[in-house]
Amino acid sequence: MSRKRLAISVGAALVLALGATACMGDDDDDSAATTTDTATETTSAGGGSGETVKIIASVPPTDHGWLGAISKDAQAAAEKHDDVDFELLQAADADSQAQQIQQAISQKPDVLVVLPQDGAALTPVAQQAERAGIRVVNVDRLFTAPDAATATILGDNYQIGVLAATYIADQLKCQGNVVEIQGLAGISVTEDRTKGFTDTIKQKCPDGGLKIVASQPGDFNPDKGLTVMENILQAQSDIDAVYTHDDDMAQGVVQAIRNAGRDDEMFLTGVGGSQDAMQQIKEGGLYRATFLYNPNMAASAVNMARLIGLGEGFEELVPPEVPRQVVVPAAVVTKDNVEDYEQYAFD
Amino acid sequence: MTDTAQTWRGALGRAKALEFQEYALAIVVVLLFIAGAILKPDTFPTWDNIRNMLTQSSVVGVLAIGMTFVIATAGIDLSVGSIVAAAGVFGGIMVGTDGTSSLVFILAAILFATFLGTCNATAIAYGRVVPFIATLAMFSIARGLALLLNDKLPVSLLDLNGGSFGDPRPFSLLWFGVGRIFGIPVSVFVFLAIAILGWIVLNRTRYGRYVIAVGGNREAARIAGVPVRRIIFSVYVLSGFLAGISTVLLCARLGSASPVSGNLYELDAIGAVVIGGTSLAGGRASIVGTFLGVLTFALIFSLMTQLNMSTEIQQVTKGLIVLGAVLLQRPEARY
Amino acid sequence: MTAVLEVRNLVKEFPGVKALQGVDLDVVDGEVHCLLGPNGAGKSTLIKCVSGAVEPTSGEILFLGEPLPQGDPAGSLKRGVATIYQELDLVPDLSVAESIFLAHEPRRWPLLDLDKMYRESEALLARLGHESIPVRAKVGKLRPAAQQIVSIARAISGNVRLLIMDEPSAILDEGEISTLFEVVRRLTAEGVGVVYISHRLDEIRRIGDRVTVLADGRTAATGLPATTPTDRLVELMVGRKVEQLYPDRPVGTDRVLLEVRDARRLPAVRGVSLQVRAGEVVGLGGLVGSGRTELLRLIYGLDPLDEGEVVLEGKPLRAGHPRAAIRRGLGLAPEDRKSQALVLDWSQTKNVTVADLGRFSRLLLLDIRKERETARKELRALNTVPDDPDRVVRLLSGGNQQKVVLARWLLRQCRVLLLDEPTRGVDVATKAEIYRIISELAAAGLGVLVVSSELEELAHICTRVLVMREGEIVAEVDGKDATERALLRHAVAPTDSPDLVEEVV
Repeated sequence: MSRKRLAISVGAALVLALGATACMGDDDDDSAATTTDTATETTSAGGGSGETVKIIASVPPTDHGWLGAISKDAQAAAEKHDDVDFELLQAADADSQAQQIQQAISQKPDVLVVLPQDGAALTPVAQQAERAGIRVVNVDRLFTAPDAATATILGDNYQIGVLAATYIADQLKCQGNVVEIQGLAGISVTEDRTKGFTDTIKQKCPDGGLKIVASQPGDFNPDKGLTVMENILQAQSDIDAVYTHDDDMAQGVVQAIRNAGRDDEMFLTGVGGSQDAMQQIKEGGLYRATFLYNPNMAASAVNMARLIGLGEGFEELVPPEVPRQVVVPAAVVTKDNVEDYEQYAFD
Repeated sequence: MTDTAQTWRGALGRAKALEFQEYALAIVVVLLFIAGAILKPDTFPTWDNIRNMLTQSSVVGVLAIGMTFVIATAGIDLSVGSIVAAAGVFGGIMVGTDGTSSLVFILAAILFATFLGTCNATAIAYGRVVPFIATLAMFSIARGLALLLNDKLPVSLLDLNGGSFGDPRPFSLLWFGVGRIFGIPVSVFVFLAIAILGWIVLNRTRYGRYVIAVGGNREAARIAGVPVRRIIFSVYVLSGFLAGISTVLLCARLGSASPVSGNLYELDAIGAVVIGGTSLAGGRASIVGTFLGVLTFALIFSLMTQLNMSTEIQQVTKGLIVLGAVLLQRPEARY
Repeated sequence: MTAVLEVRNLVKEFPGVKALQGVDLDVVDGEVHCLLGPNGAGKSTLIKCVSGAVEPTSGEILFLGEPLPQGDPAGSLKRGVATIYQELDLVPDLSVAESIFLAHEPRRWPLLDLDKMYRESEALLARLGHESIPVRAKVGKLRPAAQQIVSIARAISGNVRLLIMDEPSAILDEGEISTLFEVVRRLTAEGVGVVYISHRLDEIRRIGDRVTVLADGRTAATGLPATTPTDRLVELMVGRKVEQLYPDRPVGTDRVLLEVRDARRLPAVRGVSLQVRAGEVVGLGGLVGSGRTELLRLIYGLDPLDEGEVVLEGKPLRAGHPRAAIRRGLGLAPEDRKSQALVLDWSQTKNVTVADLGRFSRLLLLDIRKERETARKELRALNTVPDDPDRVVRLLSGGNQQKVVLARWLLRQCRVLLLDEPTRGVDVATKAEIYRIISELAAAGLGVLVVSSELEELAHICTRVLVMREGEIVAEVDGKDATERALLRHAVAPTDSPDLVEEVV
């Protein structure tokens, strides 16, 4: 009886595994990042200057287009250099990421590149790395202590809020109702994008003609975006603009608006610069603008990490060094300039 | 024992039946609706919003019907949310980048979801794996599959409209999301149909009786001749199948199959089932209760979003309402 | 002679039900006071009031002259009132010592004083004459009789003056009952007052000093000597004369319905062959552990056979498949109704029909009305009162629950009924009814195989009695010649005298 049980369970598992691999298709490009807790390695040829910089990167799992692009870009940047030994780790939540980084510390890399799930939660382990002599480059979501990283590169989320508010205020001439669909509540990215937006609205439209009538989190998730927007559409009969924190999430929001037949009533902005967004901006209509927040900063981070590892710096600076904080500016992408930015779009 | 004592005991026995929980939850639903009508009189108690709330209930609602059967056998299925995502992505791939066949998507998604449910069923009924563990594993595996199958990317399904952009043809995929029959959204029809069928099967067929017997007292059921193992197998297959239907409804509204969708839907489904009066220990189940439970969550979500409450307050409020709904039920039903 | 317990005019009302309507009882130190009464008479409610598990509506309870704290089980326990319930409230994974001292473990703060715990446990067990029970063994691994001793040890681990025992003999066989009585006598010699609840009238005579009879929530009689004749006691309980406890003995025919050939499943059943003919009631007697229940399970297919076969009406039965057995006409009423036969949250109807739902299926749907009416008919035929088919089974008395189980198989019209301890936990009046039902079934042509620990019962209702010992049938006694003593002698190994049987661990 037990043998039969074993056979059936193994059979089920095999069928599942076969099904999975069969459907994976042609994922031969080495930039394909793998699922949780596995690592891909790009080893150096060992030639060149003779010194190899060992870099370990830790990012959230790439289930989101923007983050997927982060991993791809980081990987690609590492490959461009012969003297870089690169390893990419992914962890599903803050706790596992902390554990992963601790294991990474014991492998004694030269530099750690970290995009934390939650800046505050991962600050202690980053400090631990720094104290162990491993330099840390912080990407996008900020740690909460200055000694947690040697260098930080981030997009200016506050500026994105500012740009979005400026665009919307100009388009609506400071008159109308605005809905904000936020990202994941509680992280710096979301809070900065909201704050930049609300501060600028107050500044640009002090008479209060432009009202934020609803502000709800969409968790960076399209189906949450869909259901939240559906409810807001019920509550608000007159919406002029929708400011969303993320292009992928915005797809759900767009669908909700379309399903309700109200796409002529308002326009929408996103963040990130995804291909879908650019496509829709090009076509015109509901999706008017997105704010570029390019995942390429990961490539920059890897380059910076390499320089730190080699003891070099930006040549333009006197003396050459790697700056403590690099803020990558955001750009407004609308129908007018979408062709210029398409090349940077991620899918 | 005197006659009056006998009749009182009889009445007490009957009154202790499931109906009380169902009444209690119906009261909660009415109270929530009234609260909404008072707080947002122009936008909450409208036909449009009622349609909206029912539509939003339908995805988790279909899952919850399946979950009712599973929990009735004293089991649990933690994987339905992940299965929804995986089935959607699978369906999307089967349709292909240029494909427009809604039928292919629907069949593929439902078959794949049923397949995953069958894996659960095999592990639990024949592999003797504890349901919590088996479905927890599938929770992870299915989510992984959803990400793997299309390299973490969503699949756009906006072309599956029967050739008619903006006004999807009946029985095309998108029609399930926005179409209406006699003014009622199609997904609500699907949800109601499944709820009614679920009620009939659970309460008026031999199979349904066996399901509850297995949960109520597995050993006694076996001795009475109930095919216990087959029943347990079947409820997980059913759960998978309904997850497939849920996938169709969700992807229809979303216009795409997203690998991150269905996140924690199983908790909402389980929550709805439990506050509806179905016992986690098995043996007592109510489809009506589940239906009301799903409505309760939809009402709460709609109301709080319309009131523009901040997330933090939403979380606390939702938890309190659920606690209140459970406390209203009689003591024996709380576990 | 000090009064340990005095209960005066105790009333307890639940919503819709008056469980106790003025009960009087008094117990003196060193006596065994038996409490008798049909199920539903209020015995359980009475002891729950005394032990503090339930708060009485009115009346007084005096313990050693002082009013007892009401609704406070911990308080009652501290004062010296200990209760052993029928469902022993032991945790199977704890050791004997841990169970005895659960919730009042000896401590060398903040840690447990394990040595003291083991030492004192051993002393308590010795006080009961059972030092052979290992204090470190897990309770779940002990036999029910030993578990009960552990329960008693737990009860006396405090300073007990009043010990209440609710049907302690239900799970024991003859030998173990004698041992239990020894323990009780030891305790009363120390001055402890004992309230002993039982359905078995012969026990009351053996161990009791005085008797109180409860009926319908009232005291029908109190302080009667234990030597009061059985008829009188039964009359007080039931409120009328019970003509006859046992019906006419059934006489079998020659047609063999069930045949077991060399059934074997180690370690419990070691080669059993028997036959049950139409019209017969065959008894299976023996001590706990002799393999009787295991044999029934083998016949029914709940456990697979190592060797041997079961033949039903001439055709071999597929082993190890209860559904096949049911289809061919077997029915089993298991030993533990509540955990093995009934879905307690269900109505009577659903419990009766669950084995034969096909009968009510029409185009996949169940005919609920027909189901209800049919169930009501069956229940009425068995004289179930009330015959309310929607009554939740959990609320029924033991006797009525047993009738539900029987009704299930009667509905199914089975040919051979396997009954395992059918009158356990059933009051006297209902017992008589069940005997009658069994006799009528046999007369109608069924074959009945009855397992029972009450040899007295088997001796009276069976056509013939088979005695099992250690997995084999060691004797067959014709019903007319069967006496309790004769059966017991076979049940016990020939070298031991029946009084010395002590199978504890």
